[in-house]
Amino acid sequence: MTFPFDRRFLFVTGKGGVGKSTVTAALALALARRGRRVLVATSGARERLSTLFGVAPFTAESRLVAAGVWGVRIDVDAAMREYGGMMLKSRTVYDAVFDSRLVQGFLAGVPGLHEWAILGKVWYHSTETDGAGRHRFDTVIHDAPATGHGLEMLRVPKVIVDLVPPGILRRDAERAWHDLTDPIRSGVVVVALPEELPTTEALELVEALTSELGLPIAAVVANGVLEPLFTPAERQALLAAVPSGLAQPGDVGSSGEAGLMSAARRAIREELQAEHLARLAAVAAAYVELPLLPHGAMSLPGASTLAERFG
Amino acid sequence: MEPRRLCHVLDQSRVILCAGCGGVGKTTIAASLALAGARKGRRVLCLTIDPARRLANALGLERMDTEAKEVEPARLTAAGVRVEGRLTVMMLDPKRTFDDLIVRHASSAAMRDRILQNRVYAHLSSRLAGTQEYMAMEKLLALVHDPGYDLIVLDTPPTSNALDFLDAPGRLISTLDSPMARWITDTFAAPRKSRFDVVARGAALALRGVARLTGAGFIEQVAGFLAELNGLFGGFKRRAEAVSAALRRDDFAYVLVTSPEPASIREVLYFAERLAEHGLRRDVFIVNRVHQAPGATPTVSEVDAALARLGGPADHAAGASCPTLAERIARAAIEEDALARRDRENLRVLDELALGPGELCPIRVLVPAFPADVHDIAALAGIADRIC
Repeated sequence: MTFPFDRRFLFVTGKGGVGKSTVTAALALALARRGRRVLVATSGARERLSTLFGVAPFTAESRLVAAGVWGVRIDVDAAMREYGGMMLKSRTVYDAVFDSRLVQGFLAGVPGLHEWAILGKVWYHSTETDGAGRHRFDTVIHDAPATGHGLEMLRVPKVIVDLVPPGILRRDAERAWHDLTDPIRSGVVVVALPEELPTTEALELVEALTSELGLPIAAVVANGVLEPLFTPAERQALLAAVPSGLAQPGDVGSSGEAGLMSAARRAIREELQAEHLARLAAVAAAYVELPLLPHGAMSLPGASTLAERFG
Repeated sequence: MEPRRLCHVLDQSRVILCAGCGGVGKTTIAASLALAGARKGRRVLCLTIDPARRLANALGLERMDTEAKEVEPARLTAAGVRVEGRLTVMMLDPKRTFDDLIVRHASSAAMRDRILQNRVYAHLSSRLAGTQEYMAMEKLLALVHDPGYDLIVLDTPPTSNALDFLDAPGRLISTLDSPMARWITDTFAAPRKSRFDVVARGAALALRGVARLTGAGFIEQVAGFLAELNGLFGGFKRRAEAVSAALRRDDFAYVLVTSPEPASIREVLYFAERLAEHGLRRDVFIVNRVHQAPGATPTVSEVDAALARLGGPADHAAGASCPTLAERIARAAIEEDALARRDRENLRVLDELALGPGELCPIRVLVPAFPADVHDIAALAGIADRIC
């Protein structure tokens, strides 16, 4: 399955530390190279994407950060105010809601409200049009929170639809949910590393997204894949030839033997990696492997190299 | 104050809290610390959030098991680990902890059922912002005086931002205990009571605004839920104070876990600064999965010689366009060496910025990267050897 480049809304998530921001950037560059106008949206308190693109920190105003790529940072409070402003036509009521510290303190903790403000705002960007009725962006990519929190965020519109009585909030949540569940329009990009925990978490996430929420998976991305140096047969032979106790580099005889030990450790990693990659590739969605880059991928050249792998 | 070695922290602490951002191996480190404590003769409880299935199985935990469970000595012996004390593990389930709190504190069966069956509660009890973090502390408070344990090792929830752990309980409390929430609950608990003060009038207007967004009836449901909960716990604020006091106990140690990746180091330094701002301790930085240098980076002919001596594998990929096996083995060593150098370089930043008495962190301990994933007791013991 090739990567579905035509979706309007992509939600990138995965276990903490798997490289969601890197994958978001690489994906944005890959889409821009195909002539699409891409908006990258982030909401973290400490966004890393601006560093990667080598630009000033993202702000609430979308800005061009690379050819064909715009960046925006969703500010939760501003998003809530803006949303309130659109919905509450009366200025007095609006001020009463948003200038009241009492209300602010209360709203800050209402379950899911922050998540909805962020997701709703990013989703809104995917529906934005210019004067001629043309979409402002062809694709909006959300560099979303890690698995647990990301799943919570995706669950919120459904909870609103299930729980909140008819009204403005419910109506908007229904629209967003309709788009998010549409496999032509949207999709979740699940990022993993070829290691035990991130792989297991990715597979559990896929399961929760598809069976519990009915959300489409756009792709599974295996990040940080070590290029195999040895064939499976060589790995076995290396492990058999090298005496045990190779788990750690220690004192070895010659430097040639040190090399063999190093190769055996590499063989173990390659063996386990192959196992985890097979599990990820088995998911019924587009599957992309991104190589481990020697100098790290948190840079524009790094992300550009990875962008080529999306095909 | 003289920085305490990790061994002393294990000997002297009542609670060790492991913090760090997601993906650095916090759960594994917490389990290893617990094992190290048990080896030193302490009766240890490891309170963990969501261990990898294989690690949980190795410790004898079922996935949904939330009861405290002692790791059978036979399991430990089988893995070649001798434990003088006792190792108990327990998985934290925020929803279950919340339910237990309600069952314990409800003044009547009717009240208990009213809360547990509230639609809002059912949907949101585990999703209120900060619930997971709050319930971790709640569980800790419930266990900290348990005479059955000498040491409790707490793994913190996997938040994208390590700070959530400090801030989220406060956020939950300010929601449940805010003047607005109290006003709403008062109003709905006693709807006929008239309120004429300015605050109440402003809030009434605001509430109508919110209700316009959410539709009729929803706020009432949320209010009903909050009123019941707030009454139940006799004011969350007092509990928040108990949590805050516990966090500052002398025998409460903080272990900050990071990987050698620059992003993770930046995150942990930021977290250490915030702990310092809160007047909280930082006892040890543990840098997990540090790549070790191979010892030597051999030439191809040295590899060939070693292959001949050890009877190494045949070259399966030999061909004109492919590097030979010996060349690829030499490359494995070079790449391993490069990773080790990169980690050393990254760690210098941590050392220069934060290490030493009076600095952000008094000491740091390195745990090497193992080629295989750590998911059995022997591997945990291997880490325990390194840290103490």
